[in-house]
Amino acid sequence: MRVVIAEDLFLLRDGLVRLVQAYGHSVVAAVETGPAALDALLTSRPDVAIVDVRLPPTFSDEGLQAALAARREVPGLPVLILSQHVEQLYARELLADGQGGIGYQLKDRVLDAGQFMDALGRVAGGGTALDPAVVAKLLGRAGGMDKVRADPLASLTERERSVLALMAEGLSNTAIAGRLFLSEGAISKYTTTIFARLGLAAADDTNRRVRAVLTYLSANDQRSS
Amino acid sequence: MTMLARGALGWSREIVLGLYRSVLLVGLTAPIPAIGAAVWFFGTLFALSWSAKLTSPLIVVIVATAGEGALGAVWCAIAVSIAIRRGGRPLSQAARLLAGKWLGLRIEAQYRPLPPVTQMSTGFWWNGYEYHRTEREARRQGRMSHGLRDPQLYRDVLWIAAAAVTVLPAAVLPLLGLGAGISMVPVHAGYGVAMIIVGLALAPFAWRTLGPVASRFLGSTGPAALGKRVRELESIQADMTQTQAAELERIERGLHDGAQSRLVALGMSMGAAEQLIDTDPAAARTILAEARVSSAAALAELRLLVRGINPPVLAERGLVDAIRALALDTPVQVTVRSNIPSRPERPVESAIYFAVSELLANAAKHAHARQVSVELGYGGRTLTVAVTDDGGGGATAAHGSGLTGIERRMAALSGHVKIDSPAGGPTCVTVAVPCVLS
Repeated sequence: MRVVIAEDLFLLRDGLVRLVQAYGHSVVAAVETGPAALDALLTSRPDVAIVDVRLPPTFSDEGLQAALAARREVPGLPVLILSQHVEQLYARELLADGQGGIGYQLKDRVLDAGQFMDALGRVAGGGTALDPAVVAKLLGRAGGMDKVRADPLASLTERERSVLALMAEGLSNTAIAGRLFLSEGAISKYTTTIFARLGLAAADDTNRRVRAVLTYLSANDQRSS
Repeated sequence: MTMLARGALGWSREIVLGLYRSVLLVGLTAPIPAIGAAVWFFGTLFALSWSAKLTSPLIVVIVATAGEGALGAVWCAIAVSIAIRRGGRPLSQAARLLAGKWLGLRIEAQYRPLPPVTQMSTGFWWNGYEYHRTEREARRQGRMSHGLRDPQLYRDVLWIAAAAVTVLPAAVLPLLGLGAGISMVPVHAGYGVAMIIVGLALAPFAWRTLGPVASRFLGSTGPAALGKRVRELESIQADMTQTQAAELERIERGLHDGAQSRLVALGMSMGAAEQLIDTDPAAARTILAEARVSSAAALAELRLLVRGINPPVLAERGLVDAIRALALDTPVQVTVRSNIPSRPERPVESAIYFAVSELLANAAKHAHARQVSVELGYGGRTLTVAVTDDGGGGATAAHGSGLTGIERRMAALSGHVKIDSPAGGPTCVTVAVPCVLS
């Protein structure tokens, strides 16, 4: 894969470059500012990009804006956003175009190289890789509201919830089965139940599943934005 | 037709209210001028009676009459000053109260507190102005000096004088029209009815002269108002230094107990792994895996700490988006609306953000609200945020509650907090901070 990396901290940028190269991919550009990131994304058209939310010169959300701008130019351009903190607000903005190829992860996840590269691969393949922390927030919010609004999510069992959470992170049935130590058949049964309970048409495409879940979640609070 | 009827009803209500208020205003403004006028009139009359039968050369009569006239004026002045000493303050306070109740004018008076009387080591008594031999004398003289030296009392005298020539005649007019009209009707019906109508027509307006005169004369003097502001600022400053110290201590403890100790543990684990790597690679690997978990925990703690100091979304996106992010993380339905034109200054942003954070947490936790709306607005150089929920209500800024904390934060920025929370809800807390946005 051809990878673009935009990160302002030298140590982390250097580490990411090495990590990506160690897994046999090539880094076509490693930049440190927002405008440079946008430029690299548009000119070198990488297979996937790793972009930090906060970049110079303003140290606001330059990286996020660069990624969103690049995806407006090139719909579906795969971008994995890294941040010191995860916000539902940003996750929703990133997923809003419904194009897939989006990752949104805490910087801490880089510590687990295997899982991080896994996520990068999923994003490059047009899937999604949301951080478990942001997924927990998305589902936690919906769960908190269920007492009040008779939310369909409330009707899910503990096990179905954890399957839904992994699904929202972007994992395939096989991967979910691996994480939960269950058979793939059992997982596909769970997903069918979840889709039925949430009133969603079942679809086997990873990306579409997450989008369906997130669309459902954001439909819950359209009034809040 | 109904509208006409309602209009007529409204007007008659206004007239009755106006008459009632005029009576009250006459009662408040007339006594002291009336005492002065009566003493002057009867006093002069009495004094003049002494020289009435005087049969002397004209020049002597003129001098005597002038002296008697002056004596009347002196008596009048003495009577008025006594009346003001006795009644000036209650009458002015009552006028302040009425101006507040009827017109919503908040006029604050700054009467100086009476200094305490204390015995000095010399045995003399100090009343704040001078020394006296006995306590009783010190108190008496103290009250006297106090009355003469309080600038607010001079303002009260000004108010009484000004009201005597403005509010009093205006308030008397409708009553005079009504009274004179009624007594005229038997003699001359036409004039009588006309005067009654004029009196009634004036009633809704006459009492309103209170507004401008009161706000001009009833307020406190500049220095007194400044003194009050200085005291307020002093207490805010004391609060600020306290809060700041507490915040620093919280951050220090967070770093010391959290990240710092985890880094120590991390270093120790690494050292152990280094020792074991040749002899027992499997154990070394286990230790390294634990170390990684520990570093992740340290990161999570740091993230939480940073969120409490300066929330990253606030830094990245500004107030409105930060509040939207907050709304998404709150386990109740939150609607955010904003019409602020640009980003406020950082201290304002931060204070408003934490206030809203606290209010949302209250709405979810204590009020058990289902719906919360947050409205940010800007107008008249003031940034306002109204947080309304449909919860149980009954929120007060009781000591130690989160609302006092918000009040304190806002006071530091010259802002204020308005809490409207009847028992049973809904609760609306409005936070307003003066600031300039372009």
